[in-house]
Amino acid sequence: MSKTLLEIEDLYARVGEKEIIKGFNLTINEGEVHAIMGPNGAGKSTLSYVLAGKPGYEVTSGSIKFKGKNLLAMSTEERAREGVFLCMQYPVEIPGVPSSTFMKHSVNAIRKHQNLPELDTMEFIKILREEGRKLGLDNEMIKRPVNVGFSGGEKKRLETLQMAILKPALSILDEADSGLDIDALKVVAEGVNALRDGKRSFLVITHYQRLLNYIVPDYVHVFADGHIVKSGDKNLALELEEKGYAEFVREK
Amino acid sequence: MAGLVQNIDLALPDLPILRYWRNRGLKAFEAQGVPTAKTEAWRYTKPRDLNSDDFILSVTLPIITKSEQTQKIPFACYPIIFENGILYSKISEMPSGLCIMPLIDALFMDIETQEQMGIHLDVENYPFAALNTYYLNQGVYIYVDSNVELERPIVLINHSSVGPENLFFNIHNLIVLKKGAKAEFVEYYNYSGAVKSRYFANIVNEIFIEKDAELNHYKVQNEAFKANHVALNMVSVKEGGNYNGFCLQKGANIGRNETKVLLKEKNASARVDAAYIMNGWATLDTTTDIEHLAEETCSEQLVKGVIGGDARGVFQGKIHIAPKAVKTSGKQLHKALLLSDGAEIDVKPELEIFADDVKCSHGAASGELDEEQLFYMQSRGIDREEARQLLIDAYLDEVISRLQNDEISEWIRSLIKENQSIIG
Ligand SMILES: Nc1ncnc2c1ncn2[C@@H]1O[C@H](COP(=O)(O)OP(=O)(O)OP(=O)(O)O)[C@@H](O)[C@H]1O
Ligand SMILES: [Mg+2]
Repeated sequence: MSKTLLEIEDLYARVGEKEIIKGFNLTINEGEVHAIMGPNGAGKSTLSYVLAGKPGYEVTSGSIKFKGKNLLAMSTEERAREGVFLCMQYPVEIPGVPSSTFMKHSVNAIRKHQNLPELDTMEFIKILREEGRKLGLDNEMIKRPVNVGFSGGEKKRLETLQMAILKPALSILDEADSGLDIDALKVVAEGVNALRDGKRSFLVITHYQRLLNYIVPDYVHVFADGHIVKSGDKNLALELEEKGYAEFVREK
Repeated sequence: MAGLVQNIDLALPDLPILRYWRNRGLKAFEAQGVPTAKTEAWRYTKPRDLNSDDFILSVTLPIITKSEQTQKIPFACYPIIFENGILYSKISEMPSGLCIMPLIDALFMDIETQEQMGIHLDVENYPFAALNTYYLNQGVYIYVDSNVELERPIVLINHSSVGPENLFFNIHNLIVLKKGAKAEFVEYYNYSGAVKSRYFANIVNEIFIEKDAELNHYKVQNEAFKANHVALNMVSVKEGGNYNGFCLQKGANIGRNETKVLLKEKNASARVDAAYIMNGWATLDTTTDIEHLAEETCSEQLVKGVIGGDARGVFQGKIHIAPKAVKTSGKQLHKALLLSDGAEIDVKPELEIFADDVKCSHGAASGELDEEQLFYMQSRGIDREEARQLLIDAYLDEVISRLQNDEISEWIRSLIKENQSIIG
């Protein structure tokens, strides 16, 4: 029996005045890949921000446990250090901060939390270059300010690079496939698959079944109107591709 | 104890040139007085503390070791060390083509220096420069001969070792780069001791850049947090010459760095950049006045500040383009990051354009730290304070990365980080 990594129970959350997550339940065990699919505006990104602890996303009831601890009591950075990684739908640009500097701070913050010595610059650059090469990000790109002037696909590669280096216990990918050409899609998927070791878990939010050909999920959930309305295996994704969400949206 | 004008013994009281400047300075200061809210050039920066009558003129050299000061500079240089405004020593080794000596010695010995002294210094319009020349005594004369390119930067350090009393000192430097000369000049003002001292450092630099010469001028103002630091840089640039100025201010209660550049001949150019970072109650003032007096002259200014607490940033930038200064370009941009509700900036750009066919632009922007950026960094494990620090450093780095000398820019980056507790 594998251990439970994430346990979300009867979660309600709002953004501003608007209730968006309504009675959401989900349990992810170590090593599992869960896919969430659902119509625009259902609350998928909202869920991912609630998991990451973004200010302004207020949980009104319910609980989230991560490795048995109360995730909701942790700050954003504590969650990241515990192993929650959010690969964002719209990665943020940070002018003036080189990607490599940013990633070094990030890696060392997490290493410090794990009582590991900080990596020195040389060691770090070596790792960064190696992993970057696998993802088709050259040294010059890695020196550029975080996401500034990156194309949509390059931004997603940089997110994947961070995931590859930080090796989080739980990676939440919010539309990692949006705006990617087929080659970039494969690169991102390979990045994810390289991390799959039977212990790390993934929550993959996507609109397209295609991504799930490359990152094969153990479970697929349909998310509509703030909660999961149907769960199944990978075949559910194929079904959705064919029929759309009409059935679930009507329910509401 | 007394106010800013005191009667003290100065060297060579009978030397006519010194007598002339000291008298003229006194008259000009008495006519202007300490600026008030009504003084246009000082509208936003109010040096009220300078009206106190408890200043002690710094006249004797405290016991210091020169090496202690030079150790603060992490690169090879030609050091000039001042302690409380008093010259400790001349530089020991000087390459040929470089001459550094006390300014009053140069004035005593050399007619040419006497003639050059103060040509552009209309002390009648600069109250503190007037006060400075009244006390004309301390400061150096730096001369770089034609076509000499210095291997190392000249570094002037003034260290204030402050006790309970409020010291007052004046430094007046005269810097001449002859035709085709190239030099770097660094000024570093720092302190130790009683942090609450309201001492007053009053600095004047007269800089003469001759044909095709180039000066890179870097300054760091890191005075004690109740101190006053007022500086005037009066720069003239001849044909094809270039002045590259940069000033970081991160100390003092009232800190003002004012730079006037006269682009006197064709193809003269200047860059006058600055960065400042402050919280508490301080006012940090960057004032520039660029006069394009000839055709095809070019100037550029980037000033960026980070302000927290109840501090205030002031930028007054004037670009004047004379009627015959056609085909010139003048660019100016001020940006500030406000970290708290009490932080304030005052910006006064002024363009005076009397010529045709010129390219001029000015702009100002201010903003706060971006919450989306902070969240993104925190979501990667970086704690909020560290994330803020990274964003602040990045903000100022846009200016620092323009500096020409990597060793100096690294040093300045490290000084920005040193003892920084800007919480907003
Ligand atoms: N800051 C906000 N203030 C008010 N409403 C918001 C805010 N952020 C999101 N919403 C609303 O919450 C709902 C859910 O948005 P969310 O971005 O989570 O949807 P999504 O499922 O990720 O959609 P998509 O598939 O288009 O990415 C939407 O109706 C959206 O308009
Ligand atoms: Mg979304």
